[in-house]
Amino acid sequence: MIIRFRLNGTDTRLEVAGDERVVDLIRERLGLTGTKEGCGSGECGACSVLVDGEARLSCLMLAAQLDGRSLTTIEGLGTPDAPHPLQRAFAEHGAVQCGFCSPGMVVAAADLLARNPHASREEIREGLSGNLCRCTGYGRIVDAVEKVKP
Amino acid sequence: MIVHLPRSLGELWNLLAEAPGARVMAGGTDLLVRLRAGLDRTGTTERTGKADAATALCCLERIPELRGVDCDKGQLRIGAATPLTTILENQDVATRLPMLHAACRCLGSPLIRHQATLGGNICTASPAGDTLPALYALGAEVELATSNGTRRLPMDGFITGPGRTLLQPAELLTAVHIPLPAPNALQHYEKVGKRRALAISVASLAALLRLEGQRITEARLALGSVAPTVVRCTQVEHWLAGRPLDAETLHHAAGMVREVVRPITDVRATAAYRRIVAGNLLLRLGGHQ
Amino acid sequence: MSEGPYDIGPGRPRLDALAKACGTERFSADVYPPDLLWAGACRAGIPHGRIRAVHTAEAARLPGVQAVLVRSDVPGTNRQGIVHKDMPVLCGDKVRHAGDPVALVVAESRTVLQQALALVRADIDPLPVLGDMDAALADGAPLVHEGHGSNILLAAEIRKGNAEAALRECDVVIEETFHTPSQAHAFLETENGVAHLDGNGVLHLTVSTQAPFRDRFEMGHALGLPPWNIRIRNPFLGGGFGGKDGATVQCLLGLAALRLPGRTIKMWWDREENLLAGYKRHAARMHYTLGAMRDGTLKAVACRLHYDTGAYAHLGGEIMELGMEHAAGPYRVGHMDCKGWCVYTNNPVAGAFRGFGVAQVSLAFEGMMDRLADRLGMDRLELRQRNALRRGDRNCAGVTLTTSTGLGECLRRVAEHEFWTGREAWKRAAPPFARRGVGVAAVFNGMGYGRGLADSAIAKIELTPEGRFVIHSGVTDMGQGNASTYAQIAGEVLCQDADRLTVLQPDTETAHPSGSASAGRTTYTFGKALIAACERMAEKLFRRAALVLLADTPEGFTLVPGAVRHLPTGRDVPLTMLGTMLPRDDRICVGEYMMPVSREVPDTGKDFVIGFPHLIFPYAAHLVRIELDELTGAIRVCDYLAATDGGRVLNPVNFHQQIEGGVAQGLGFALMEDFATHDGHIRTRDLSTYLIPTSLDLPDTVSVAVDTVEQSGPFGMKGVGEVGLNGPLPAVASAVADATGAHPNRGPLDAETVLHLLARGARA
Repeated sequence: MIIRFRLNGTDTRLEVAGDERVVDLIRERLGLTGTKEGCGSGECGACSVLVDGEARLSCLMLAAQLDGRSLTTIEGLGTPDAPHPLQRAFAEHGAVQCGFCSPGMVVAAADLLARNPHASREEIREGLSGNLCRCTGYGRIVDAVEKVKP
Repeated sequence: MIVHLPRSLGELWNLLAEAPGARVMAGGTDLLVRLRAGLDRTGTTERTGKADAATALCCLERIPELRGVDCDKGQLRIGAATPLTTILENQDVATRLPMLHAACRCLGSPLIRHQATLGGNICTASPAGDTLPALYALGAEVELATSNGTRRLPMDGFITGPGRTLLQPAELLTAVHIPLPAPNALQHYEKVGKRRALAISVASLAALLRLEGQRITEARLALGSVAPTVVRCTQVEHWLAGRPLDAETLHHAAGMVREVVRPITDVRATAAYRRIVAGNLLLRLGGHQ
Repeated sequence: MSEGPYDIGPGRPRLDALAKACGTERFSADVYPPDLLWAGACRAGIPHGRIRAVHTAEAARLPGVQAVLVRSDVPGTNRQGIVHKDMPVLCGDKVRHAGDPVALVVAESRTVLQQALALVRADIDPLPVLGDMDAALADGAPLVHEGHGSNILLAAEIRKGNAEAALRECDVVIEETFHTPSQAHAFLETENGVAHLDGNGVLHLTVSTQAPFRDRFEMGHALGLPPWNIRIRNPFLGGGFGGKDGATVQCLLGLAALRLPGRTIKMWWDREENLLAGYKRHAARMHYTLGAMRDGTLKAVACRLHYDTGAYAHLGGEIMELGMEHAAGPYRVGHMDCKGWCVYTNNPVAGAFRGFGVAQVSLAFEGMMDRLADRLGMDRLELRQRNALRRGDRNCAGVTLTTSTGLGECLRRVAEHEFWTGREAWKRAAPPFARRGVGVAAVFNGMGYGRGLADSAIAKIELTPEGRFVIHSGVTDMGQGNASTYAQIAGEVLCQDADRLTVLQPDTETAHPSGSASAGRTTYTFGKALIAACERMAEKLFRRAALVLLADTPEGFTLVPGAVRHLPTGRDVPLTMLGTMLPRDDRICVGEYMMPVSREVPDTGKDFVIGFPHLIFPYAAHLVRIELDELTGAIRVCDYLAATDGGRVLNPVNFHQQIEGGVAQGLGFALMEDFATHDGHIRTRDLSTYLIPTSLDLPDTVSVAVDTVEQSGPFGMKGVGEVGLNGPLPAVASAVADATGAHPNRGPLDAETVLHLLARGARA
């Protein structure tokens, strides 16, 4: 089927298969490998993207569901030359070790701060509780998110 | 597999009539995981059945009649395909149904909650479904619809076993109706999991208590993950009526609860642990004194 | 943004952090060359059996399938392994664990691959399953490896003094048996790689691996290829922790590439395959007898250790060796009699995992210390401080500690912290239905390979025509930040800004062999080699600058950002000039280093070819404050403190990140991680049943660096990659004992276990 959606700000039209997952569409067909896959079953959050501004697990979303929606991947949030404040904060505050969870974590944090700009440390931890990190223990990730609060 | 995104119930009925084998998908957090597992994941030499393969999928996410939280005449109607995040952000739920709010809040993770739905949690009918004990304790009703009409059934009894409900072929769960308890009723919910997020419940308790002073006038107790379906402990509820809310009462009630539950041993916990904890969870109600 | 030279000392942000946060840093999993094929292994499905036949015709006929390979298609020895080469690339005769591969399918898409895998049928006659070590050691038990003669991969002994006699003279003797579970690494990026064989017979791989240089030899031996014909590119890993040390996808990918020359083939294990077929931590059973005097002086330890290595050896012997070397803890113990058995079973393959055999014994030796403190009515920290190793002591293996030994200071920092001094008041303030406990643990973890295997590195640094420096890293960065630390080392020696420093991730064609990313060695060994290379580079640049300036001596030059400066005249020679002027082979400098080994040859540990003894150890003292729920047994970790001796801290952010991450994995091991098997079948098959901590499960860890100087290390540092993981399980056990009065003897300390301990403590 044909879908029409907004990809990182650009109108896009694509033919997709029924069982095609958004994570595969993003990584393999669109070459946007910033979004990662860690489990394929919604348990790790590494595949998080923004759909209509809301954080979603792209491994549990079918490409067909993107029709009429806007999709923002980590690449759409910012680049090394023009990073999103969260990306810069993650880099500057030691929130990145292996970095495989980082894109999903940044996306989830962006959603969290949009809903709750004055989130406490505990609320930040709750907001990120769907994103597993095996390297950091989460403390510096929470630090980085706190630095971006208004 | 063909994916449909109907924009109305009418469109959905037409699609289901044309493709009777089509699966219906609300949030997809259970269905998509099962479909992925349907084709043997690790390519072992054991053949797996393809019972969960699907040829057509109808997404419910764009049907407005299935979404939304409405408060009317002492009842809350929650559309079956309303994402849990939306339910959590609803003020009526937060203030009048704090037990349901608490149950939704501990389901999965924020990411899961952005797409998971109440209807999905009910129809998946897992013995460990997080929202279910709250729905039982609140005396919820499910609204079921076909192209010909709707009917309502009490939540208690709708789920007949793990993965089994009274849903008929071509019938859809369209909403959940919850009568609002008295504002001064005590609502309590606790989930025991092996970690604090993304955890399948090991035991859970939803309790509604009406009190006059320290005396319990009415009690509703629903326990999850300790039997094939949620256990509504009616005997214990009757025994509690008229008794004071104190440690002695609760200890006795806890013992009665342990007799009533039928837990299993699985990778998460033993039956013995679940039985002990099922009773212990009642003791927490003493904290409300 | 230039902040001056990117030198050591400050907590400089890592060079790779921003690209990773933006998703532009490409991991091995992110490599999708055009026209690629997908490879996947068909796995046994039963834990032990003899293969009668593997039927592949139906799968091979499926449109889109390029190849279906079985054992007979494997050239070479069909045996992989790091030291002990006992693991088939594809099983021919028998399968030894449920994840053992029997066939390899290569297809045009992942969908076709999955369909084809389901069509492969192996006829396997089941053999009795050795589901645990007792079954494997029983009389008449079938052999996992017939040729090996027994199910004991290695039996070994480390003896110091005469423990049996010494125990008889002790005032107090305590006995206990401890159990630690198997643990999965659960890195976020699962095993994967891409391979192709080019027209010149060179096999190219991009792979998520901790040992790109050694992989070539492992593949070469298994597939009958000259290792020099294999080129491996090794991007940043999305986690490793030991699980990517040793071939995972490499031999299978090599096999597929050899079969389909010119085609590019990708293999990426999904999470379920990672849990089934990937390496795990050895489960262990440890029986301990500890003897001490009334005043708390430790006298003797006798212990019997069993490590379950699963179906294949991997580094089982070496892992057990390290555990045995640490068996009596970081204490002065006059006598030790430690015997160990590393046992084959039909469980999934156990291999390297951060804390390498020591995470297991840490529960035991610290558990014994707590029991002793209880028995003597002594303060738990005081008992440890009394017996803590100091430089110049002999450790429990009889090896003299000639290097930095900061344990005493670590313990002192914990003892003076408010978490410890205020513990009684804190515990009394427990909320309703909760019991509070404070636990402590002292831990250590030998660094490097030890004796018997050269722990060496060769660093290469290059000046580019643009006047920048490129460091050719030879050691994988799996998240520990060594790549960025190398830049800091170069920045320190060469006085250059981050803008002028690039680190290239290992490429076996352009970098030099530098050992694996393991054993806490990745900054130490390569760092020393890099210092040598940078010093040579500086020396060379001074001489070349002297030529430019017609100076008659290379004295009086120094490096400043972007230039070489002649101090007597104040003239600068820009690096761009030197970079443009010099031919390439005059712009490259190489340095090498080999880690020192103990000069002692204790008359024990003779069963170990590699590893015994180690020479350099980081130390740490940990403290945890927990709250247990009396109704459910659930533990909430309220606070965690780690005081670590890692020598000199080169970058405090990187240092503390390693400790915080080690503690996080250790708390998972302590509270919820149990890679459970039953009769050789795994019960925790995915991340919904194999649980690792979420952000709601962990506290903010307070990490304190204790200053010592490791004279042998680069700028005085030693590696702290592993030691942090060893503390949490014994610390939490200590806290649970403090809260309940009952001492745990096994991990994980899940709610059910704690509820039992609460009941037991109430009865005691």
